[in-house]
Amino acid sequence: MLVGEAMIRDVSAVFEDETVETFIHICLRKRTAGLPVVDEEYRVIGFIGETDIIKSAVPSYFSLLQSASFIPDTQQFVQKLEQIRDDMVIDHMKKPPIVVAEDDTVMYAADLIIKNGLKMVPVVDEKNRLIGVVTRIHLLDVASHGKIKE
Amino acid sequence: MDVLTVTLNPALDRELIVENLEIDRLHRVKNPKYSVMQPGGKGINVSIILSGLEIPSLAIGFLGGFIGTVVEERLREISPLISTAFVHLDEETRENIAIIDPANDTITEINSVGPAVSEADLEMLLRRFRIGLKRASVVVISGSVPQGVPEDFYAQLCLEARAEGKIVVVEAIGELFEKAVESGAVTVAKPDLRGVQQFFGKELSQLQHYQAAAEEVISKGSKMAIVSYRIEGDVIATTEGSWLFTTREHIEHSHLLGTGDSLVAGAVQNLLFSPDDYFTAAKRAMAAAIAESAFLEKLRITNEEIEKSEAFFSIEKLR
Repeated sequence: MLVGEAMIRDVSAVFEDETVETFIHICLRKRTAGLPVVDEEYRVIGFIGETDIIKSAVPSYFSLLQSASFIPDTQQFVQKLEQIRDDMVIDHMKKPPIVVAEDDTVMYAADLIIKNGLKMVPVVDEKNRLIGVVTRIHLLDVASHGKIKE
Repeated sequence: MDVLTVTLNPALDRELIVENLEIDRLHRVKNPKYSVMQPGGKGINVSIILSGLEIPSLAIGFLGGFIGTVVEERLREISPLISTAFVHLDEETRENIAIIDPANDTITEINSVGPAVSEADLEMLLRRFRIGLKRASVVVISGSVPQGVPEDFYAQLCLEARAEGKIVVVEAIGELFEKAVESGAVTVAKPDLRGVQQFFGKELSQLQHYQAAAEEVISKGSKMAIVSYRIEGDVIATTEGSWLFTTREHIEHSHLLGTGDSLVAGAVQNLLFSPDDYFTAAKRAMAAAIAESAFLEKLRITNEEIEKSEAFFSIEKLR
C-alpha cells in the first residue's frame, strides 16, 4: 500500500513566522497536537508539536531526563511558556522535517513514525510542498486490517 | 490543485425526506437512507461535485467546534480529490436542515447562523487564501458569510485573485455580492436568488428585469453572468450577448437541491479547459444543473450524466 492511499488530504499548517500562541490556538481548535510548518510557497520546512514547546520551556538538561516529574520548578516552566508565547514557530520547530512522498510505501512511513516516536508525518509533492499528512492512528488502522503489506 | 473553493460559512447539511410534512405533528423517518448528514455550504458543494467530475480542489474557509470537525472529516471521506485547509474557530459551525416532502413537492429549509469570526481569524484565512491561490487556476467564492466578515470581504478576495490572473467565480447575494461585482474582479457572477428576487436594489419579476440584471453585471466588468429565471430557466449574459436557457422538461421543486452548485461546477469544469469560452461554459453549467435535478438528494453527478443532459434545454437569443 502506498502513502497516497492512506494519507489525509488536509494541508492545514502553521507559517514559519506565525507565533507560538497562534500554533497553540490552531491545535486547540483543530484538536491536534502538532502541525507542519510551511513557507510562503507552502514548502514544508519543519514540524512543530506540543513536545517541542515543552522542550523550549524547560531547562536544556531536561532532554536528558526521562520524566517530567524531574522539572525542578513548575512555576519557572510556566513563566518560560509566557515568554515564548510571542516567538515565531521557526524558533521552536523541529528541522529538517521528516517527510514522505505520496508514492512511498506505507511501510516506510510506519517505520519513520515508529523509529522517531512521531504522531504525524507530512506528505509532500516533488517540490516539497505540503499535500497532506499521515497520522499514527491511521497507520494503526490500516495495519490492523492487514492492508499495510498490500 | 486546479480549483480553490472558499466557503466562509460552511454547514453540516441534514436532509430529511418526510412525506406529507405538517407543522405541529410528529413525523418518523421511515428509512435510514431518508436521513442524510453531509458537508455543506456552497463552495464545499462545488468541491464535492468537482470531485465527481475528477477535478481536484482545495477547500478553505472557516469551520468550528464539533460540527466543524464532522464537516471536515466527512468531506475528506467523499473523495481523495478534495484537500482541506480550513481555519478553525471556537464557536460551532452551523447546521442546515432541509426537509424534502416528495408527496407535496416542497422543500422546507431551516438554516442556523454561523459562528462569529474575529479580525485575527480573517487575517489567518487571507494568508491561507493567498497561498492557495498560487496552486489554483480557478477560484470559487460562494455562499453567505459568518458574523464579523466585512461587506467588502468578497470584493477583496476577488481583487487579490484577479491580480494573480485567476478566473474568479462568485455566487452570493446582497451587499457582499454586489460589492464584489462592482470591484470588476469577478469573472463569472451568479446572484443567489433562492431567498430574494432582488438585485442591485431592483425587484426581479419579468424576464426583462432578469436580463437587465445580467447585463448590468457584464457592464461592471464580469465576463459572464448567470441569473436564475424561475425554476426552469437561466438568463446568461456575456460580452457577446444575452440568452435564455430553458429546460425542455418540468423540474420538480423538490429536485432543486444542489442544482445551483452543480451549475457553478459545470461552468468551472469547462473554464478550466477553455478559459475564454464563456458561452460553452454556460451550456455545460446548464447541463450539469439539469443532470443534478434528476436526483431528489444532493448527489455527485458524472460527466456522462452531464453529457446526456446537453439535449434537454433550449437556447433563445435575447440580445
